[in-house]
Amino acid sequence: MTAFLALLRRDLLVASRNALPLLMATLTQPILVVLVFGNILPRLNLVADEFRTVMVPGLMSITMLMAGVQGMLVPLAVDLSGSREVDERLLAPLSVLGVAMQKVVAGTIHAAVAGLIALPAMMLLMHQVTGVEVHPRWWVLPPMVVLSGLLSAGFGLTLGSNVQPRYSGLLFAVVLGPMMLFGCAYYPWVSLDVLGPVRYLFLLNPLVFMSEAMRLAVTPDVPHMPPGLLLGGLLLFVGLFGVLGARSFERRTIL
Amino acid sequence: MRALVQVQDLVKVYPGKRKEPAVEAVRGISFEVASGEFFGLLGPNGAGKSTTLGCITTLVRPTAGRVLVDGLDVVRRPGEAKRRIAVVPQTRNLDRDLSVREVLTFHGAYFGLPRAERAARADRLLAQMQLTDKASAKPLTLSGGLQQRLLIARALMHDPKVLLLDEPTIGLDPQARRLLWVTLQALHRQGLTLIVTTHYMEEADRLCERVAIIDHGRILTLDTPQALKQGLGGGQILDLWLRAPQPIAPRLQALPGVSRLEKVESNGEGEEVERLRLFVDPADGLLDRVLRVVREGGADVRHVSLTAPSLEDVYIHLTGKELRE
Repeated sequence: MTAFLALLRRDLLVASRNALPLLMATLTQPILVVLVFGNILPRLNLVADEFRTVMVPGLMSITMLMAGVQGMLVPLAVDLSGSREVDERLLAPLSVLGVAMQKVVAGTIHAAVAGLIALPAMMLLMHQVTGVEVHPRWWVLPPMVVLSGLLSAGFGLTLGSNVQPRYSGLLFAVVLGPMMLFGCAYYPWVSLDVLGPVRYLFLLNPLVFMSEAMRLAVTPDVPHMPPGLLLGGLLLFVGLFGVLGARSFERRTIL
Repeated sequence: MRALVQVQDLVKVYPGKRKEPAVEAVRGISFEVASGEFFGLLGPNGAGKSTTLGCITTLVRPTAGRVLVDGLDVVRRPGEAKRRIAVVPQTRNLDRDLSVREVLTFHGAYFGLPRAERAARADRLLAQMQLTDKASAKPLTLSGGLQQRLLIARALMHDPKVLLLDEPTIGLDPQARRLLWVTLQALHRQGLTLIVTTHYMEEADRLCERVAIIDHGRILTLDTPQALKQGLGGGQILDLWLRAPQPIAPRLQALPGVSRLEKVESNGEGEEVERLRLFVDPADGLLDRVLRVVREGGADVRHVSLTAPSLEDVYIHLTGKELRE
């Protein structure tokens, strides 16, 4: 446990020193989307007023996914296939699973902080815009942020342990891009009933559950997924990526 | 002295992938390293040295056999074993996001050292490795030699019983290499147990008290460098280049005091000159007898030299001359 906490302390120290670039990487996307879709397009009467409310939780979930994946995927892929800094951690008095779990906890903190910074940043940008119905429920938000953070960090661990660094660009284009577009970030899952049974295909996308979790937490008045399905999906994906990620990580570290 | 590290019938087979066959990297290796000993694993690339080291450090899982460190099975009780082990890996895996001093203090923290103790120990090791003026630099800005010393300092932070170094002098310039030798010898004098892999003969000869020569996953021989060199049949090597009207080698080989004779291939230049290498016991009158045979054969001597065999001669003799990938 001492080793676990010391490794976590090291990761948080390094992250705090790189706060500015990390913040820029995290916030550029939501800020620009809010400027365009929350400010410019409404003035041109090109988007419905409701969209502003709908996209806030969606952008939070996208920000958290990107933070979890960016904070984990590229550094881990480079580490495993080259610099091998991970070997120092593996030689500490801590199990391989412990090392993997520590990485997930650090990634979760990273994602949670990113999401919790994105929310006020977006609100600030739209504070003069009418029709933004964001009313965070403070007792729902923390557990949903933690679960979503765990999901994105587990996803990052799984990808980072399986992908060569040279394919990480491809991954962003081919996997993360579609995930974001079909992740119910810009529309509630419930409203997809117009698509018929096709809407259930969306449930294969873990981002859907993160977006719906944020929707439940910050825009409770917008229709959202039934809580049972939401919680079940979140826990299932957290468990799935936890197991897959830990397994791949062990396969890549202990020969 | 009791054995600190025991490697027993170690086997490691890396499972094959889709198109690649399985690789038997280690095929039944056993040896023991005594507490305080300086031990060397010597062998060509791909011989199984790093895999053996990996099994001792828990980063490679043995297929069969076992490794005990201080009596602890490293597979069953890795946590306790890892506290006794320190590694200087072949890849210089210093934490690039920390400063030189933080590399040490955080390593201490991973091993649960209290804050004051890790600070004191970090400062002491920085001084010992002559890194004090680099304390706030980033590790990757250091030269190869300094990085290597920082790796050793890091390894010593948690006060290990055995230090394992994988090809520690690869890529170092001659000065840095010599300084590293001095450092390792000093640690050895302080009572630390050291296990080093290398394919530099001179290094093994100079540093190690005992050397295991490994090839194709097996130990070919294990002894002190001195004994290995003496074991090469006879005490010394007599190189003799000559031009003879008739073959003279059989008569030389039959001489008392000559234990073995090899024909050394020349590289094309002066092809008529025959190059012979005799493994001899340079007792009374041997050179005299050799020269008499040469004269009687009407041969013209071009070059004579008498040298003590090096570990390299032993190594080449055992592992063969073919080129490895």
